[in-house]
Amino acid sequence: MPPSAFLRQLRKIVGPDAVLSSAEDVMLYEFDAGLSTGTPGAVVFPETTQQVSEIVRAANRFDVSIVPRGAGTGLSGGSISRDEGVVLVFTRMNRILELDIPNQRAVVQPGVINLELSQAVAKYGLYFAPDPSSQRACTIGGNVAENCGGPHTLAYGVTVNHVTGLEVVLPDGRVAQLGGKANDGCGYDLTGLFVGTEGTLAIVTAITVRLSRVAEAVETLLAIFNTTDDAANTVTALTAEGITPAALEMLDGQTLRCVEEATHAGYPMDSGAVLLIELEGLREAVTEQAGAVRAVCTRNNAREIRRARNAQERLLLWKGRKEAFASLGRLAPAYYTQDGVVPRTKIASVLRFIDSVSRKYGLQIGNIFHAGDGNLHPCILFDMRDPGQVHRTHEAGREILQHCVDVGGTITGEHGVGMEKNELMPMLFSDDDLAVMQRVRDAFNPKSLLNPHKLFPMPRSCRETNVLARPGARV
Amino acid sequence: MTTAAVVPGLVRELSAIVRSGQVLDNPAQLQSSAVDCITPRVVVSPGSVGEVAALLKFAHDAGLVVVPAGGFTQQHTGSSPERIDIVLRTDRLDAVEHYDPGDLTIGIGAGASLSRVDNIIAPHHQLFPLDAPLPDSSTIGGALATAAHGPLKHGYGGVRDYCTGIRYVTVDGKFAKAGARVVKNVAGYDMMKLLIGSWGTIGVIVGASFKLFPRPRQTRTFLCGYSSLADALKLRDAILQSPLSPMCVELLSPHARVLLSAEKEELQPVWWILVRAAGSDTLLARYRAELDGAVTGEIVGEAESLAWRRIADFPEAAFRRSHNAMVLRVDVPAQSVGPMVGAAERAAVDNNFVCAVVGRIGLGTLLVSFIPVAVDPPAVIQYVNTVSSVRASLSRDGSAVVLRCPVEVKRHISVWGTSPTDLDCMRVIKRAMDPNDILNRGRFVV
Repeated sequence: MPPSAFLRQLRKIVGPDAVLSSAEDVMLYEFDAGLSTGTPGAVVFPETTQQVSEIVRAANRFDVSIVPRGAGTGLSGGSISRDEGVVLVFTRMNRILELDIPNQRAVVQPGVINLELSQAVAKYGLYFAPDPSSQRACTIGGNVAENCGGPHTLAYGVTVNHVTGLEVVLPDGRVAQLGGKANDGCGYDLTGLFVGTEGTLAIVTAITVRLSRVAEAVETLLAIFNTTDDAANTVTALTAEGITPAALEMLDGQTLRCVEEATHAGYPMDSGAVLLIELEGLREAVTEQAGAVRAVCTRNNAREIRRARNAQERLLLWKGRKEAFASLGRLAPAYYTQDGVVPRTKIASVLRFIDSVSRKYGLQIGNIFHAGDGNLHPCILFDMRDPGQVHRTHEAGREILQHCVDVGGTITGEHGVGMEKNELMPMLFSDDDLAVMQRVRDAFNPKSLLNPHKLFPMPRSCRETNVLARPGARV
Repeated sequence: MTTAAVVPGLVRELSAIVRSGQVLDNPAQLQSSAVDCITPRVVVSPGSVGEVAALLKFAHDAGLVVVPAGGFTQQHTGSSPERIDIVLRTDRLDAVEHYDPGDLTIGIGAGASLSRVDNIIAPHHQLFPLDAPLPDSSTIGGALATAAHGPLKHGYGGVRDYCTGIRYVTVDGKFAKAGARVVKNVAGYDMMKLLIGSWGTIGVIVGASFKLFPRPRQTRTFLCGYSSLADALKLRDAILQSPLSPMCVELLSPHARVLLSAEKEELQPVWWILVRAAGSDTLLARYRAELDGAVTGEIVGEAESLAWRRIADFPEAAFRRSHNAMVLRVDVPAQSVGPMVGAAERAAVDNNFVCAVVGRIGLGTLLVSFIPVAVDPPAVIQYVNTVSSVRASLSRDGSAVVLRCPVEVKRHISVWGTSPTDLDCMRVIKRAMDPNDILNRGRFVV
């Protein structure tokens, strides 16, 4: 619990109705959409950059840590306080500050909801490209912190490719501007560096984003396969053929049966795997690409290729994909989603490896993922009431990620490291790699006032307090 | 100006560190590695990453100024150094680290030239869209350090968008990596972004991984000519608001066209917009239709490749025309291109230069060259006034960097100008990564 003098200070800065500190009030902010938990000492809702700056200065004086938080839809514990610090919730900083349509830019506060920005600029034929599954709820501030992706990342890139400027509050309370509306500029690309640092360098208080033009034509295809191998080989073949869909998603048989029961999206119950393939662009290009995609799928033993005939059918196919994780709730009380990435030539063999892990640990693992960029989301189903299963889930997840790294991949493609995978960073990075990154963190955030014990492995002396990756702690 | 001092002690010590590489100290070699007429004491080409690390640690401990160098194509940019102890060349670090054609990814040493990458991937019909100037000499490490780019930046993004991983050495001799080989990764800090465009002041890049793209089977370049910049910009806006997604949208000012084509001045000045598109005949027909009457010519095949190579090499063409030319790289929001080019043209007239502009007009990234009209070298004040006028036309978001100008002019202007990014934050990073300020001391904005 933070000192009461500090809480008084917070109330003075933001007003009494914008500070929560009682146990029952702060409980709501103990978790995110992943598995980690941590009880905040207080929750505060700033409305202006100035207030954020004053809160940071006060936190400095009282040595209380700060964790910025958007909608709490993160999957790696990035917005959870590990040491009873202050959780800074941005839901009241949710204004679009400027729409600069001729320059295709928007300046937004961090609490603006991802989809709401796209809706606000839809009448100009523009949208904000990053489209995580949580886009109806998640905030752009959170997108920036996690450098989030989404199905259409394949063609349009992750958040950092769509951010040109940031206003930040540094750990000493100073407000600084990084970049602006121009594509590039003189000096270090600190905008690029700060995106994806999960709130460990500074608190973002305004974001300048690039708006993209909505494509003229969209074609959504569902290719149905008898085996996951055929589906995975199709992904490799599409890549090799030089076909770049806007999105290329895969659901394995087990998952799609579950999804179909829940959403009635029209996925065939008896298939081994499906690919959801979306093509975007000029009408002529989409028509040609659709032909090429069909040919590749057929060559790789697709038993059927369906095409969404209208917007409604398209939405239904996507509904199945976007609600896939939730549908898995029908099979088990809890699930643990991994986020490893592998080279696209390795998808088939890695799926076979995941299957062997599933058998080895006696756990069901569903696969719903961004196949086009090799970003796997193996979803381990378990019952958190069974400590043995919880332990096996953790081990299975770790083994899968180690395998991703072994074949040339990484441990997270879009969910972030946070407190869920910080102890796994040495799988990917050497001590020197991490030491240099930490040098950057310490340069800005020397006292680890902002989001402490995240992203980097904890020093050995602190490990016992580390509640990381104990899947099932809460779901 | 300093001349090369013979320092046998330094050469001996470095030779002990760099065993598989080369340590050069003969006057001709030193002279050819001079930066703004400042000659290094020694030029070193380490043969391994380990040697780079040992060398940097030695220099860091001894407080020796190091200039990292690739193909020496951009060393004319930056404030003039006070002294250079060691030029560290990455030319021997050019091995392919991984190439997986099926995954469209490649990893390669910093010393590899851009052309080399192209030669490796071309047989697989793949494209590395970094079409920076002088690809035969320009290296991966240099192109990353300078955030080099060419016309393809419009359609494929800048190198920051497709560099997926980086290997570098810090001044205290740590060999570190960030990112990964795969196309998507958010584990750890994105040190690629920090190193790209840091002009060798953070660490020495020794290798990088990239996302590759399918090489288009067919491309076509549509030429659209206008009598005024305002009309050319209208076409630019129409393209940006259309569903078209061209590979390149490039502006050529009337003088730029003359400079690049070696043709005579046209009677009526023509502002050209070149639109390069890829795809089938049907798709190209659609482009033609959308550009609706604006197209006055088309180029294809070798002529097309050559034209784009020339445009990419534009800063070199300006320098070849006159060694007293000044070239600026200006980055502005797309809608600020008009006022900026207007200001540049007026400044040129006022100061007796010819202004030639080429650039990624859809992105707001332009190269603005000022070529002296008179045979005699212009006075320093003419350069100073010109740069001031261009910078005065920029909003806070914009920046204008002098890529090239006569050395004596550098003493009177800020080569970098102001940055839209907080200077103190940049200094914090620089101090953390290079506390003794040995990397390119005095040459960068920080």
